Parts: sequence; C-alpha cells; structure tokens
Amino acid sequence: MTIETHSPGVLSPAQRSAPSLENAIGHALMIGLSLICIFPIYWMILTSLRPENRIFSTALWPDAASLDNYAYAISAIPMARMLVNTFIVSAIVTAIQLLTGILAGYAFSRWRFRGSAFLFGAIALTWLVPLQVVMIPNYLLVARLGMIDTLGALILPHFASAFAIMLMAQSMRAFPGEVVEAARMDGANNAHILWQVIVPNLRGAIASLAILIFISTWNEYFWPLLLTRKAEHSVVQIGLQMFITEEGTQWGPLMAASTMASLPILLIYLVLQRQVIGSFMKSGLR
Amino acid sequence: MTDLAPLRLAVRDRPGMSLPSRRAYRALRPYLYLAPAIACFLIWIYEPLASAFLLSFQQWNLLPTSPRIWVGLENYRNIFNLPQLWQALDNTWYYLIGLLPLSIVLPLAIALFTQDLPARSRNLYRALIFVPMIVPPVVAAAVWRWLLDPRHGIFNLALQWLGSDPIEFLSDPQIAIWTIVFITGWKLIGFSTLILSAANAGIDASLVEAARLDGAGKWRIIRDIRLPLLSPTILLLVMMTILLGAQWSFSYIHVLTQGGPLGSTTNIYYLLWQFGFATLSVGWSSAAAVILFLGFGVVAAAVFALKARLSFYDN
Repeated sequence: MTIETHSPGVLSPAQRSAPSLENAIGHALMIGLSLICIFPIYWMILTSLRPENRIFSTALWPDAASLDNYAYAISAIPMARMLVNTFIVSAIVTAIQLLTGILAGYAFSRWRFRGSAFLFGAIALTWLVPLQVVMIPNYLLVARLGMIDTLGALILPHFASAFAIMLMAQSMRAFPGEVVEAARMDGANNAHILWQVIVPNLRGAIASLAILIFISTWNEYFWPLLLTRKAEHSVVQIGLQMFITEEGTQWGPLMAASTMASLPILLIYLVLQRQVIGSFMKSGLR
Repeated sequence: MTDLAPLRLAVRDRPGMSLPSRRAYRALRPYLYLAPAIACFLIWIYEPLASAFLLSFQQWNLLPTSPRIWVGLENYRNIFNLPQLWQALDNTWYYLIGLLPLSIVLPLAIALFTQDLPARSRNLYRALIFVPMIVPPVVAAAVWRWLLDPRHGIFNLALQWLGSDPIEFLSDPQIAIWTIVFITGWKLIGFSTLILSAANAGIDASLVEAARLDGAGKWRIIRDIRLPLLSPTILLLVMMTILLGAQWSFSYIHVLTQGGPLGSTTNIYYLLWQFGFATLSVGWSSAAAVILFLGFGVVAAAVFALKARLSFYDN
C-alpha cells in the first residue's frame, strides 16, 4: 500500500504555519493510542518474568527476572505438545487453503464458464455464515467421522476460505494476459501456466495471504474449544484457560503461557511487519 | 477470457484422448479446479446450514442414542418466550453500538488528525497500534483479566492510588458488558485506524487543493470532501463491525465472564453456544441460529444497498 505524503509545495502559506501545533496534537494522539495498544502486551511479558514473591509488583520496569513461571507453565500443562500441535494445524491449514485458493482463483480468472458468477457469489456468501450457526451440524459430522479430539478435525473445515479464493482471483485477474498468452503459444498447458508462470510472479500476494491464514488459524479458539477433550490433543489457545480456576488465577504462569502462545505470532510480526499489516489491510480494503 | 487454444496444441498435450472426451474435459476444467473449494463449502457450510434449519424444528439433546422428535415451530415459540433470548438480543445490540465509537469514530478522528505527520514516525505508530489485531484473542482476554483484576490488577491499583474504590470491571453486571466491548474494540482500533488512514491518504490531493483555493477551511474540507470520499470505507468498517464484531467477542466472554454476571454479558453468539453445548438443547440452539442468520441476511442486504447508493463517490 502506498501512502503519499503532501508535497510542501501545495500548501498555502497560511497552512504552512499551522502544522506545528497540529502535529503536536497528532503525535500526542498517536502516542496515547500506541500506549493503550502496546501496554497490555508489555505488562504480560513483564509479569511473566517476575519471580513469585514479586508477582504483584507495580514497578513499570523489570526489577528482577526469573524464568520460574515458564518452567511451571511447561510442567503444569503439556505446553510443548500444544505449541507443536498448533504449529502443525496452522501450517497444514495454510498450505491447503493456499492450494484451494490458487486453484479456484485460477478457474475464476482464466475461464468464463456457466455458473461462474453464481459460484463466486456462493463462495463470497460463506463469509456471512457465523461459525456458531453451523457448529452443531459440524460437530455431529466430526463425531460421525470419529474425529472428536483429533488434530485432523481442527484442519478439515478449513480446507478452503472465501477470503483466500477472492484474493487469489483478484490478483490473477490483474496478472498481465500477454504473459499467459505467450506461455500458451510456447505450448504450455494450464498446469504449467499456473505453477510455472503465474504463481512465481504472485509470490508477494501469496506470501502475505499465507501469513494472514497462519495467524488467524494460530489464534483460533472456538472450534478447538468444541472438539477438545484432552489437553495434549489440542492447541495452545485451549491450554491457557487451565491456569484460571475457581480457586483463583495463577497469574505468573498464566502470563508466561500467554507469552509463549503469542510469541510465534509476535516474532512473525517483528520480522515481516510490513507484509503482515499489508495482508490484513487487503482483507479490509476489499 | 474464453479458451481459444489452437487445436494443434491440445492434440499435442493429450495425444491419448479422443476428440469428444477432450471437449468434455475442456468444458469440465473450470469445475475441476473449483472442486476442492466447493466441496469444502458444501460439506462444512451449506449442508450444515440446511441441517441447522431442520434441527430447529426438532427436539434433541445431542446424544446419538436418544430420539429426535419433530416438534414443528415449538422451539421458536419457546425461545421467543425466554427472557434470556431477549436479554441476549439486547446485549448484542449494546455490543454493536458500543463498538462503533471504538471501531469507527475514534479511528476516523485519529486518521484525519495524523495525516500530516512525517512518514517515519507514522510508520512507527502504525507498527505499534497494529499489535492488538494479531494477538490471539484468548491471550488478550487473559492479559485484560490480569490488568483489570479487582485486587491486584494495575488499573485498580492505579485507581486506589488516586483515592477511588476499586471497580469490579468483570463482575459488576452494569459494567462487565462495557469492559468486554472495550476489549473487543481494543483489538480493532489500530486496524480501523490504518484502513482509514490509507483511504484518507488515497484521496486525490488536487481535490483538496482546489477546495482550499476556493477558500474552504480545514473543517469544511473534512466535512465536504474527505468524509464523503471516505464513506465507502466507513461503511465497509461498519459492516465488519456488525457482521464480525459481536462474534469476535465470544473468546472474551468465554474466558472472562462466561456470559455472566446474571447473563449481562451474554450476546446471541454466546447464547447459541450455551443452548447447544451447555444445556444440550439442540433444537433451541438451531432455532436461535436460524433467527440470527436471517437477521444477518437483512443487515447485509441493507448495507449492500446503502453501499451501492454511496458508490458514486467511488469514482
């Protein structure tokens, strides 16, 4: 996404003197908002590193660091297993959704065929069906397949997503037709055109879609909640709740587990910040 | 794009095929590429939608051994007589109304106010305010539970330091719903701000300049040029808030209040879950699901109609 800046030349003299105060207000607003957005995450990490006797400390800076909470969280629940499970589910869902999205996007962008508008509409409409509306029939289907409490059941309903298909169709429609035509003149068949010509050229769009799918699958909570029976068969989002009990909450381990559950996402964000923001923005700007 | 590949190539591609089967393959090809996606949607969305509709006329408790009894419209009559349903619908409405300032009004103000900031600091702010959007919802719930804890949470300690009594953010029936609304909004605010900033930056600078030369002040430019041009984006965000906003609150409700105290934070999505998986009244849950889905359809149709009407601003 490109955000152009005003060139100074278009500002009239009267406008040019104002910005200093306006900028100050703008900075103040953004700093305030940034603090609201970032402080909870900062506080989570800070608390997770505090030893048990200092857990209720209100110091805004780290005063004593300890990994006890992490050690406790890892031993109290099958944390490592759950993180691996979450990673497996997210990676597989990402790969499959990309595949179905690329194939369907190719069909919509390449051919005009009977029912294409209807099918496109039917796919777009799935966006309007909340998971809660179809949860019981889906749950029953998983039960019939004997897949309650398995990772497979977490993956199956996510074989395709309307968003991936629409984004791929849109990117491929914008792909220069001459390139496809030239490849076909050279005798390339559809598989070759798709995988050797189009896909390598859409690397950027595909990569940001992959990030978006991975993050949203990693963060998913509702569907695993329906299917989980045993912690070691589930994803990390389910594990966090085990530190919140009737008798009270184990704040230190809860914050340590929360940090571990969000660390992979935060790392992806740290490295690929531009692409992550870009991919989420595309999901909204459509 | 119609497929006009020279026959010669097709022959070379598939030498083993006879002409009719080649033609059939050609006609079927788009559907083959679509098959995996369509199959997934049929199995996991459309067929379940139809069965939810059927289940809404039946009485059943989710146990495979117990019989499903056809009860006609009984489920609908029953849930409409339940105070919980009306409370949940009211609450859903509060969620939506409460979210709009956080997901639209505030981000819009911020986007308009920060358009002249230097690009470098703007990028830093962008990176920071986007973080809540990617944090797992359960983590967000856990962290806010800690921040808002009545005895040890930093917010209440700050309030006490200021001389106020601690606030029961999550167990006071008057306050809990707004706490959840705030947390849901907290996750969205950076995202909306970025979307609106991008749309605002995309406005043709010459339009703004022309108005300025005509003597329009900053506020008139915002009112008469920027807001109308931003209206499609605003509408899109309103639609996202309505269709997804209350739905996103499920994790927070489940982790923070379980719908309580006294049902004060239960919205329609949480009620569906309670009917279905806490009390195992499949019929009631399905009837409520059908009502929700129909309500959704009406809202979506209204928004799309409005969008079509506003789209003339969209060049």
